Amino acid sequence: MRFSLGNFIWRIVDLIIAAIFIYAGVLKALDPVQLAHDIDHYKILPWTVGVGLAFYLPWLEIFCGLALIFRLFYRGALSILTALVVVFLVATIAAKVRGLDITCGCFGHASQNWSFPAHLALDLGILAALAVLCYCSVARARANASPMPTSS
Amino acid sequence: MKTHILTLTLTFIFCLTARAELKWEQTAVELHPVRGDKQAIGHFKYQNAGKTPIHFKSVHASCGCTAAQSQKDQVGPGEKGEITATFTIGDRTGTQVKTVTVETDEALNQKTVLTLKAIIPQELEISPTFVFWKQGEKPDPKSITVHAGKDFSVKHIKVTSSSPDFQTKVEETGEGQFKVDVHPNETNRLLASTLTIQSENSPKTFYATARITTAPTAPGAPAIQKAPGAPGAPAGPTAPARPPAPGSQTR
Amino acid sequence: MKFSLPRQALILAALSLLPGVGQAIYFRDKISWQSPIPPSEMVGADQAREWGDSTIWIDARPDNEFARDHVPGAILLNEDRWNELLPQFLAVWSPGKKVVVYCSAQSCDLAREVAERLRKEAQLPDVFVLEGGWEAWVKKNR
Repeated sequence: MRFSLGNFIWRIVDLIIAAIFIYAGVLKALDPVQLAHDIDHYKILPWTVGVGLAFYLPWLEIFCGLALIFRLFYRGALSILTALVVVFLVATIAAKVRGLDITCGCFGHASQNWSFPAHLALDLGILAALAVLCYCSVARARANASPMPTSS
Repeated sequence: MKTHILTLTLTFIFCLTARAELKWEQTAVELHPVRGDKQAIGHFKYQNAGKTPIHFKSVHASCGCTAAQSQKDQVGPGEKGEITATFTIGDRTGTQVKTVTVETDEALNQKTVLTLKAIIPQELEISPTFVFWKQGEKPDPKSITVHAGKDFSVKHIKVTSSSPDFQTKVEETGEGQFKVDVHPNETNRLLASTLTIQSENSPKTFYATARITTAPTAPGAPAIQKAPGAPGAPAGPTAPARPPAPGSQTR
Repeated sequence: MKFSLPRQALILAALSLLPGVGQAIYFRDKISWQSPIPPSEMVGADQAREWGDSTIWIDARPDNEFARDHVPGAILLNEDRWNELLPQFLAVWSPGKKVVVYCSAQSCDLAREVAERLRKEAQLPDVFVLEGGWEAWVKKNR
């Protein structure tokens, strides 16, 4: 792979996003019982669904983060992470618009006291970074697909 | 594809924004009652931002200790109101989370859960609050740890036993930390005592219980005599506490 | 071997299921899928009845609900009057007894809070919450 500033920045953003999701996933995976109680605390999801999410979601984040680092199933990981962030954002905004006081608890119990603006800013930042990664991935795929110009 | 997803998401958010009616100032309230407070009251203010009146179908709390009341049964467009949640502290300690579920006749959002979190200051933390010896067991001292709660400074504590059959000794083990050794004079009779624990600069009283309990009896073994003051009578705070015997030490 | 985007996402989602299931099995005693109370701290009405005389029933509801009706022989112990009621309960407790705490229904938190206080503060062993609460007891016994 030819070194270029663009590729370098792409890789850095990859690693930062991967680190955020792996960190968030590990924090939550360490205490899924507490996470289930934290999810239940907001009384939005049925208890059983909350328990299922508490066991599954952290690992999804960790595996997708690892996929970004090792560039395995890269586009699949990007899609999942983008979908997760969009769902978190929509749920947070919709709840806030309805007047519900919700923080997504992205970092498990550690982020319980974060304010709504702080959560929103982080989610939007991550979404922007994911959008950049998607763009880079598509651009690279297109560049690989188009034939090299021949010189006469 | 990406454009479609974005459009869909924005439409979804817009639809929700357009139809939301009852807007709450906040749906989670954190209260910090001070020492001596019997109740903690949370106010949940709302406004009907929609064009049609909203009728409250029910307002009910998760616990009998919390009374929830709505100022009105119906809120007209543009009108404001408040739901008051009164949490009776009683003998509760630590962080208490109680919810109030509000049901309205709104089309989109019929149920709202309001959360009342009360952080009850605990001046002294006692562990354990119950020590016991089985009948016939050696009357060795058992320890109760007392330590000052967060944000409290306790230099001395006073421990009083309601029964002269139990002796107590207090030892300071660190800043704001104390060890109370309790032992009965004998364990042949079923005895009980309420230990009253107080810090020197506070009127609030804390309690621990010391008891001789029945030991599981082998089949055919003779029944053991009970103490003349039947142990079924509560040795709790409501019973008049006997003055501490000269043997029990206080600090 | 190149996988399509949906297939990649599906593989990642499936892979994530494995450790999730593993954790769910590992923590099965610490969390119940049906209720916030762990299975080791819950007991059904039938099981509690089988314990017979070694069971002490605790009613964690407010005074007025207890006065209206309660499990025969149950002792009132709620957090409204904890300091006053606890010694009355301790007067009948002895080692080997199993304590079963109930409140109105499965969704009620009072029993769980009283049970937790008995375990943490009084450090009593064998403290359980009745599955389904008073509602379940009435259904089985009346």
